[in-house]
Amino acid sequence: MNKRILFLTILCLILTGCWDRNELNELAITMALGIDKVDDEYVVSAQTVIPGEVSSMKGGPGESPVTLFQAKGATVNDAIRNLAKLSPRTGYFGHLQIVVIGETLAQEGISNTLDYLSRYFEIRSDFYLLIAKETEAGKILNVQTVLERIPANTIFNILHTSQHRMSNTSAVTLSKLIVDLEREGKEGVITGIYIMGDEESGSSKQNVESITPTTQLKMDGIAVFKEDKLVGWLTDEEGIAYNIITNQVKNTLGTLSCPEGGKVTINVDKLTSKLKNTIVDGKPEIKIDIQIFGNIGEIDCEIDVTKKETVKMLEKTYEEQVEKNVNETIQVVQDDFQSDIFGFGAAIHQSNPKEWKKIKSQWGTEFSEIKTTVKVKVNIRHFGTVNNPIQENIKD
Amino acid sequence: MKKTPLNSELQENIQHIKKKLGESTDVVIREIRIGKEGTFKVGIFYIDGLSDTASLQNFVIETLMIDISISQIENEESPNLNLMKALKDFAMTVGEIKDVANFEDLFTSLLSGDVILLVDGYSEGLIIGNKRWVERGVTEPQSQSVVRGPREGFSENIRINTALIRRKIKDPSLWMESKEIGRLSKTNVTIMYVNGVVDDKIVKELHSRLDRIDIDGILESGDIEEFIQDSQYSPFPTVYNTERPDTVAAALLEGRIAILVDGTPFVLIVPALFVQFFQSSEDYYQRAIMASLIRLLRFFAFGISLLAPALYIAAITFQQEIIPPPLLISLAAQREGVPFPAFIEAVIMEITFEILREAGLRMPRVIGTAMSIVGAFVIGTAAVEAGIISAAMVIVVSITAISSFVSPTYDIAIAGRILRFLFMGIAASFGLYGIMVALIALILHLTSLSSFGVPYMAPLAPYSASGQKDTFIRLPIWKLLSRPKYISKNSVRQKYTAPTSKDKKGAGV
Repeated sequence: MNKRILFLTILCLILTGCWDRNELNELAITMALGIDKVDDEYVVSAQTVIPGEVSSMKGGPGESPVTLFQAKGATVNDAIRNLAKLSPRTGYFGHLQIVVIGETLAQEGISNTLDYLSRYFEIRSDFYLLIAKETEAGKILNVQTVLERIPANTIFNILHTSQHRMSNTSAVTLSKLIVDLEREGKEGVITGIYIMGDEESGSSKQNVESITPTTQLKMDGIAVFKEDKLVGWLTDEEGIAYNIITNQVKNTLGTLSCPEGGKVTINVDKLTSKLKNTIVDGKPEIKIDIQIFGNIGEIDCEIDVTKKETVKMLEKTYEEQVEKNVNETIQVVQDDFQSDIFGFGAAIHQSNPKEWKKIKSQWGTEFSEIKTTVKVKVNIRHFGTVNNPIQENIKD
Repeated sequence: MKKTPLNSELQENIQHIKKKLGESTDVVIREIRIGKEGTFKVGIFYIDGLSDTASLQNFVIETLMIDISISQIENEESPNLNLMKALKDFAMTVGEIKDVANFEDLFTSLLSGDVILLVDGYSEGLIIGNKRWVERGVTEPQSQSVVRGPREGFSENIRINTALIRRKIKDPSLWMESKEIGRLSKTNVTIMYVNGVVDDKIVKELHSRLDRIDIDGILESGDIEEFIQDSQYSPFPTVYNTERPDTVAAALLEGRIAILVDGTPFVLIVPALFVQFFQSSEDYYQRAIMASLIRLLRFFAFGISLLAPALYIAAITFQQEIIPPPLLISLAAQREGVPFPAFIEAVIMEITFEILREAGLRMPRVIGTAMSIVGAFVIGTAAVEAGIISAAMVIVVSITAISSFVSPTYDIAIAGRILRFLFMGIAASFGLYGIMVALIALILHLTSLSSFGVPYMAPLAPYSASGQKDTFIRLPIWKLLSRPKYISKNSVRQKYTAPTSKDKKGAGV
């Protein structure tokens, strides 16, 4: 009996395992995927790292640090399998940093694409999604970038930093987007990426050899989705408002006009917002409470910030400005896109499930008519390392 | 076994001894005559090199031939049996003296270095304790060296070794029991323990295991160890060995038993537990915080030496996801052009290292330095530059090698060394999943072991809260109030109250 068990154990050792074994130098490490749709066919662009070129061990740069494989297929999966016709190594997507989706495909709907990305076991769900604004995803991945030698890392880091520093973009991972899309009363958004300069010359090494690259990538706007289709774009200002309403602001900036001309900049370092809903006359209403803590970043006018009234005045001005921005953004989204990207419906669903059941079916139209009240409270806490503007001292 | 009695004829005895010893050239036989007219023929036997020739001449031969008042012997009324007694009582100016009546005892004593004295006409002789041979004195131990702590180490002489321990524990309850093991070597094996602290059942068990040994020769304590250890085929040692008297004394005080074997400086200690192999005597001489941190470091280093190559292989051939992207790309760049799979690469490097280490150990010290240069530079650097081995693999193997030297005892490092290859193989075929399964199996194996009835993993499994005070960390000595409960039943070690703030104030002023 024992011998038989031993035999079976040894069989297990010999016959299993190894099937998913891959040596590192047999893998094509793909850091970015671009997905487009051209003439009813999916086009997949895989930005694959050439490790020897990226590693710091080698001296001067030789080849390009990445290469782009492009293949077509009836489905995304089919297109990715077709990459094997071009690439000498197996594609490895475990370290995927970004997935760029072409604007045309986004307008047609991205649910097929998302299904593949979330179904395939090797792909994690923590990469960022982007929409190639006014271009194809393949072209975005065809641009060489500076500082980070791998363009996928460049894009990843720009998106990450801009969300944290300025809050005018939205760093959306696959898992977050899928949650937004599947949740009742919430729609998704994806940040757009845009090529500045000539699309073709960005691919060559010359692009990163001069101090100012001729072609650069830039985060630009936030794409608004209704269900899985792109319906429009938010501007930078609207993007900030979106992040404020959804309580995703870490740092941002506000520029105010002084009473006698000139500008004051407020650095926001903490912002919280809460959505509350009430039923007034049988109709739901949304209240947005926004609390902002900030510092003075720059003063370019004649004011005396050591006086309490001045600070009060600045706070009030900023409050009004944020309120206006938020209201206008809600207006735009309600009127132009009719897509509940702020999650008003989800808020109602959460706090008032009975009411939600009643309005759920016609939420698309209800959302456009819902009344919102915005309340903003600004606290300016620090003035930086000087009090009053140095311009005053220079005059003395 | 029936013993052959001595013959009363001196010449016959001499012939018998010569024949038995094959006329070996180091046997010295001296016939002298004593008494007024040289009435008595006396034969003196000893092994050249094992006996102290100077004192033999001064205190035995000289007394017999010159100093002895012949009249005293003459005056004895009945000369027959009493001559032996008279010699013993009046003539022998030496400390240790015994009677002998058969050849078996005679040979044992003779070959141990004693001097044998036979008188013609008597079937009885004297054994005169006169052992002395050239030996290494008490020197600093080569293994288990410490920064702070006693510098003396055991030597090859069992008497010196027992004395070194006696000097540390001067209590009548320190008991010693001696046995002769080895049919030909007749090696003196002594077990030592503190009576009242030791668990008597373990002493009994040890006796029965020692008594079972029937072998021609015991040359080193390793021979005893293999006979008495619990787990014959486990890579983990269940008998501790040390060259340090302070370590033995500490173990005796904890209720363990020391086994001293003549002819080796390595003393065995039982029962030996897993955590004991990670402890150094210096842990108790250094301040508690440092000692605790160093202990944690040792366990960590053992983990590295066991798992580092396996984890590396698993991560780069199966679970690439767990490597951060920049590191993955850097590793991938190093592996560009390496012709072997990571596993083969690791095995090549590990075996190379094992060869280097073994060569370095056995080689004369002077050449050893040259060896390490050849090893490190030529093999490491050249292999990387030639693109046969990736630089990362050299780093992994090096850190593994260095970690394996952190263990304060050689034996546990060996266990890590053996299992490392097993883990590497499993990692190469099953990845991290395989490593986890193998680790669980390893823990099952460890918990199944025991040393003289004490669970090997105590005080971790079975868990003992008070045992944790001196396992991964060491609390200050004054907090270690009890002996390990799983070893000694008599567990009260000290009665102490921590210094209070009042004491400190008093001392401060």
